[in-house]
Amino acid sequence: MARRPLIGAGLRTLAAVGALAAGGVLVFAGLQAPWPEYRADAASVVVEPAESRQVRVCPGPLLELADDAAAATNATSFGSADLVTVAEPPSALVEEAPLENPANREAGSDGQAVALVAEPGEVAAGLLAGAQSQEAETETIAGLAVAACRDAVAESWLVGGSTALGRTTLVLLANPTDVAATVDLRVSGEAGAVDAPSALGIQVPPFEQRVVSLAGLAPNLASPVVHVVATGGRIAASLQQTAIDGLLPAGVDLVGATAAPAQTQHITGVLVAESGGVAVDEDHLDGDGFPVLRLFVPGDEPAEVTVGVVPGQGGAGTTIDAELIPGEVTDVPLGELRAGTYTLDVESDVPVVAAARTSVAPVPATGDTQSLGEPGDFAWFPASSPLAGEIAVAIADAASPVLHLSNPTDAPVTAILDLAGSEREVEVDAGGATSVELDGDDGAVIRDADGLHASVVYDGGRTIAAAPVEPPGPQDAPIRVFPN
Amino acid sequence: MFPRVTAILVVHRGGDRLRRTLAAIDAQQQAPDELIVVLDDADASADELIPESASHVVRLSTRASFGEAVRAADRVLEAPADERAALWLLAEDSAPAPDALATLVATLETERSVAVAGPKLMRWDAPDRIAHLGRSITRFGRTIDLVADELDQGQHDEVSDVLGLDPAGLLVRHAVWRSLGGFDPGLPVADDALDFSLRARLAGHRVSVVPAARVDVAETGVAGQAVGRGRTARRARRIARSAELHRRLVYAPALVMPLHWLSLLPLALVRSIGLLLLKAPGAIAGEFAAALGAMFAFGRVARARGTLRRGKTVGWSAIAPLRVPPDEVRRRRRAAAEARRARARGRSEDLQFLGTGGGWVLLGSLVASVVLLPWLLAAAGVAGGALAPLSSDLGELWANAAYGWRDVGAGFVGAADPFAGILAVLGSITFWSPSYAMVLLWLIAVPAAALGAWFAASRLTERGAVRTFAAIAWVAAPPFLVAIGDGRPGAVLAHALLGWLVFAALGAATSWASAATASLLFAAVVAAAPSLTPALLLGWVVAMAVSGRAAIRYLLVPLPALALAAPLIWDQVQRGTPLGLLADAGLPVPSAVPAPGWLALGFPGGSDGAWGVVVSWLGFPWEPIWPAIGLVAPLVLLAAASVAAGRRRLRAALLALAAAAAGFATAVAAAHVSVATTGADAVAIWTGAGQSLAWFGLVIAAVVALDAMRRGAAGVGAIAWIAAVVLVLPLAASLVSGRVPVGPAAERELPAVVVAEADDDPRVATLRLAPLEDGSLRAWLEHGAGTTLDDASTLDATRRGLTDDEERLAELAGNLASRSGFDAEAAVTEFGTTFVLLAPGDESDGRRAAATAERARAALDGNAALTPVAETAFGTLWRFRDAPSPAPAAAIPADAGGSATVVWTVVQLVVLGAALLLSIPAGVGREADRRAVREPRTRRPRRPRRRTVVEVPPGAADAPTEPDAPVEEPLEPDGPAEEPDAPAEPDGPAEELDAPAEPDASDRSDPSEPEAPEAPKGDDRG
Repeated sequence: MARRPLIGAGLRTLAAVGALAAGGVLVFAGLQAPWPEYRADAASVVVEPAESRQVRVCPGPLLELADDAAAATNATSFGSADLVTVAEPPSALVEEAPLENPANREAGSDGQAVALVAEPGEVAAGLLAGAQSQEAETETIAGLAVAACRDAVAESWLVGGSTALGRTTLVLLANPTDVAATVDLRVSGEAGAVDAPSALGIQVPPFEQRVVSLAGLAPNLASPVVHVVATGGRIAASLQQTAIDGLLPAGVDLVGATAAPAQTQHITGVLVAESGGVAVDEDHLDGDGFPVLRLFVPGDEPAEVTVGVVPGQGGAGTTIDAELIPGEVTDVPLGELRAGTYTLDVESDVPVVAAARTSVAPVPATGDTQSLGEPGDFAWFPASSPLAGEIAVAIADAASPVLHLSNPTDAPVTAILDLAGSEREVEVDAGGATSVELDGDDGAVIRDADGLHASVVYDGGRTIAAAPVEPPGPQDAPIRVFPN
Repeated sequence: MFPRVTAILVVHRGGDRLRRTLAAIDAQQQAPDELIVVLDDADASADELIPESASHVVRLSTRASFGEAVRAADRVLEAPADERAALWLLAEDSAPAPDALATLVATLETERSVAVAGPKLMRWDAPDRIAHLGRSITRFGRTIDLVADELDQGQHDEVSDVLGLDPAGLLVRHAVWRSLGGFDPGLPVADDALDFSLRARLAGHRVSVVPAARVDVAETGVAGQAVGRGRTARRARRIARSAELHRRLVYAPALVMPLHWLSLLPLALVRSIGLLLLKAPGAIAGEFAAALGAMFAFGRVARARGTLRRGKTVGWSAIAPLRVPPDEVRRRRRAAAEARRARARGRSEDLQFLGTGGGWVLLGSLVASVVLLPWLLAAAGVAGGALAPLSSDLGELWANAAYGWRDVGAGFVGAADPFAGILAVLGSITFWSPSYAMVLLWLIAVPAAALGAWFAASRLTERGAVRTFAAIAWVAAPPFLVAIGDGRPGAVLAHALLGWLVFAALGAATSWASAATASLLFAAVVAAAPSLTPALLLGWVVAMAVSGRAAIRYLLVPLPALALAAPLIWDQVQRGTPLGLLADAGLPVPSAVPAPGWLALGFPGGSDGAWGVVVSWLGFPWEPIWPAIGLVAPLVLLAAASVAAGRRRLRAALLALAAAAAGFATAVAAAHVSVATTGADAVAIWTGAGQSLAWFGLVIAAVVALDAMRRGAAGVGAIAWIAAVVLVLPLAASLVSGRVPVGPAAERELPAVVVAEADDDPRVATLRLAPLEDGSLRAWLEHGAGTTLDDASTLDATRRGLTDDEERLAELAGNLASRSGFDAEAAVTEFGTTFVLLAPGDESDGRRAAATAERARAALDGNAALTPVAETAFGTLWRFRDAPSPAPAAAIPADAGGSATVVWTVVQLVVLGAALLLSIPAGVGREADRRAVREPRTRRPRRPRRRTVVEVPPGAADAPTEPDAPVEEPLEPDGPAEEPDAPAEPDGPAEELDAPAEPDASDRSDPSEPEAPEAPKGDDRG
């Protein structure tokens, strides 16, 4: 009878093995079978930001620092600027809101910075423009300064100016928004970042303008670059530089913000009024009377930069290679250039900011008592952003304005230039540039010019000025929102 | 001269009892002068039995009450010739002893004041036991059986004057019968003779019981109440209550009658609660039926009051001495309780909690809990994962558990998650700081789970080592420890309760209290882990199918869960998202879907049990899953061996393995389904709940296998549990070292400025913006000091598409995060927003998130409607300049849920309250009480036969462990399971064939029933 338990044990073992096998099959089927899957989708909405009002800020009349030491930081105006406003359609209601600068005692007679405001629906994003011009002819300041009225932004780069001997640079901060702005200015120079605690936390109340003397922050700086960061309200920032060589004024200019840091920068319509310059490899730069390209690397990486200098009217260009140290501003001489208009292409392996400067040298007084000498002038050419959509351009009331269009893209572009109702086509070759004389026009609208860069350059013989055409900061893109 | 006696015999069925009764009448030493037989809608066969001697035969075509039948017989009689003429009321099942009539007549003759005389009623099946001997009422009018089911040793032969009598064998002076109008038609069954006796007393007569006259009564319902079980008992109970209420309205002074009338329903309600506590839920319907019947019986009451008033000659004080005094009532109650205890003795089995190591398990698990999460002891709150604080206000906590305003996002009206109810209960325990309830839960989860498994195992095995194995193996379950570390309150709770649920469910077959406890635990587990619902319902169906007559108790198990979830089910189904019911309760927090291998091993949420770290640390070239598989193997092998544990344990083994399979299936299904969303993420269902169930099935199967081992169970068990513990050792290490999402709660959920504002304005609304990885933006609203765990709503998380509110919120948030001409004041006017909180663009979220954060920050900074408040750990905070406080738009609409809130809440409270009352143990022997009296001896041979059909889990049948659950209780007096014994089915179980036509007779056919101290009607509850 010993078989019974044996059979029982066998059966039991079989049962256990069977259970194990069944479990194995179950697990295998559960893990390997292609079960259908269900995943709920999160619902979201793509929100198109409501159209906001268009604002262009014009920096207002040129300023000079008071002579007396007590009020040396107070800049007052000495004349008024001419303002040209263009809106498309022309019937659009554009309000001119003054941006007060309490420090300017002459504001009552000379005017002040102005915000051109078009409420939503009046004009499309790019179709409001303004430009101001002023020709100074005082004993200390002379020259032509033209500025395009620009949109206010949270962050901008001002490349230009100098606080070296005889150079005065003011930073103009205008707040056209209804929120107080707190502005941090971070100044870098040829020797690296300048430690200037007073440059941080500058309060600009709504609808006011503040003027900061760069010399107060960074004296004796030959090549400053100012990084303007505003929190709260947005800021339209520009530089005003004046120069005097000995007793002769050497020029004045208003410098708008340059294009944001990028690996390629493009400067169009660099007007070299007088042939000459300093060799590219010149180690010891003296003064500022030569065409130069100012470069700055905001990041921490050194930059390998290639600058293409292309003559506007044809001919072979030159190429300049430079190595940039991060945090230090480098002025790269553009070599000896013949008079004419040039396009500068900056290629870098890390993002950089750039602006070029050219000048007309003052003619010193000769021994002849009749001759007091002739003042010079200079102009800054900030890098611009590519055009997009329809852009209105205001032509300042100054000598022989020329619109320069350059095409850094690989395809020719045929843009349409609408001059007070009369349209004309302008063809720009791939990599080439074209200029259009705009004498007698108040403004223009550029269409179909996506990818082109534009600048309006004023050449009055011994006075030069330039204002790049900067498309307005893009309206904030639609954003996807998950509201749960 | 001998007075004229007319015997009136009421016949319903005929048969053997009638034969014996007729024979007994024939055999009277002093025969009645006349015999009137009333065929009360009687069976045709009864006709043949009517003897020639019957002077009249009255046929009633419709069934009338005993009183009506006697009245019908009385109608054929002439007016009584003198005072001495008497009526003798007999029923077909009341056989008088030969000297009964003579003795009764002698009493009437010798004592002229006696108008009604009643015999000593003996049990038909046990003629040496007194069935009834006189009745009385308490001060409050409740009927008391003066003597009920006692062995007759002459101990009551001195009794004579009583307040009332039973109808059978009653000898009443004919004139008095007529003058009092006979039995009250308002008391057709119960208390008819009592009421008549009482009225005779009030008319100045005496009522006497004559112990020397004996009448055997079978109590089949011809005269007086039928006795029986199940439906019969329920009916008897209702009739007795109806009679009591009728008498109350009739006896009451006219002035207080309205008060009595008004008290009927409230009293029924209160008594129903008592019935639940006494585990007699089946009697509740009768209670209300009786109350409603009494309320709308104006005619009967008015007639009865008239009859009473006309016949009354003496005051109520005359009968006061005959009432049962209160101390006698108390004495009887004490005696009944003593008898119950005596009966229950030896049946309330001992779990041997300490004797089999339960104490050590408790101690060990407490220590383990503290070792795992030492910081919990000092923590004021626990956070991380899906954990959040609870509302600090108890009122809010409970409001969040009820249908109505769901305060999540902009808020909406809808059903609450059942889980919110659990949170409300937990939060109320730590009422001083509801959020501390989560700390407590985390602290006691391990001991609670260990004890639950220990108790569940105690239903299956008596061996301490095996029970301990179950406790350790259950606590070492990977899904449990992952849920603790990942902060999954629902999964932790479900795991801690699963063992208890099984423990209670296995006991439910024998006890209402256990069944109700199981139902509450079922509701809690389903609420905590809705994904377990299909598997648990399957288990419920199986339990119903295999539990035979105990099915009635299982039937109600899902009811509290259903009541809790009903509004949610309704809302979800109506919305067309029934799958949303499976969403995990609590905050929707995305988790990784486990890889297939880890899923099978029981690790949820993408966890690898920290084996990846361990393996790389040890430098082995293995896949981390191999050691884990090796460590799970002993448990799996042991579980598979359970099917070889013998035929007796086969069912338990198969059920446990089926549970494991169901759990695994649940986990696999959960891994494939995401029903909730949060922000841009779909939230996969937490697989841990299903894995817990699977692990539980394995543990229980292993317990079955170990229990079957004659030797070495402790050693084999130790191998399995040590392997399981090693399996989770890396997890435990990461818990101890704090490398898990769970940690002490931060002081607040929102910046201090907002929290301070919330002190003044609890509805202060904060619009939160968080840049997401793809550059999109998540926007949501929080009220007060932050969203709480009880605010969370799966109804919201599983919504497909957006509500209007959400679309407007998106529009608002998108514009606030952009330079835009949008009127930001809409945030204030539409949503009552006071603050805007922008989460910092996290480095880990990538450049696009950072860009979005920067853009939103610039836009918010430049918005004139906002003032920056602070940079906080939660992000940058702005405040709307013109935000009113409190903002009208942020207020919860008054009466948001409307009447639906009231209706749902009442339904839920009634169901849960009933389950709660029912789950409270009624006291030793209480549940057995109602059936023990009539417990038929014939049941014993039936049990083994039933056992093959009734799939009572072995633990429940063989080793019941709940102290209050009597062992031998397969017969449910109130349940339909009793129906085989009900008169409706005379061809009942085979073992009752000895009395096929009279199934109830078998109740009394057990002469050896030693002590049955209380008669069914003597139930002394007031």
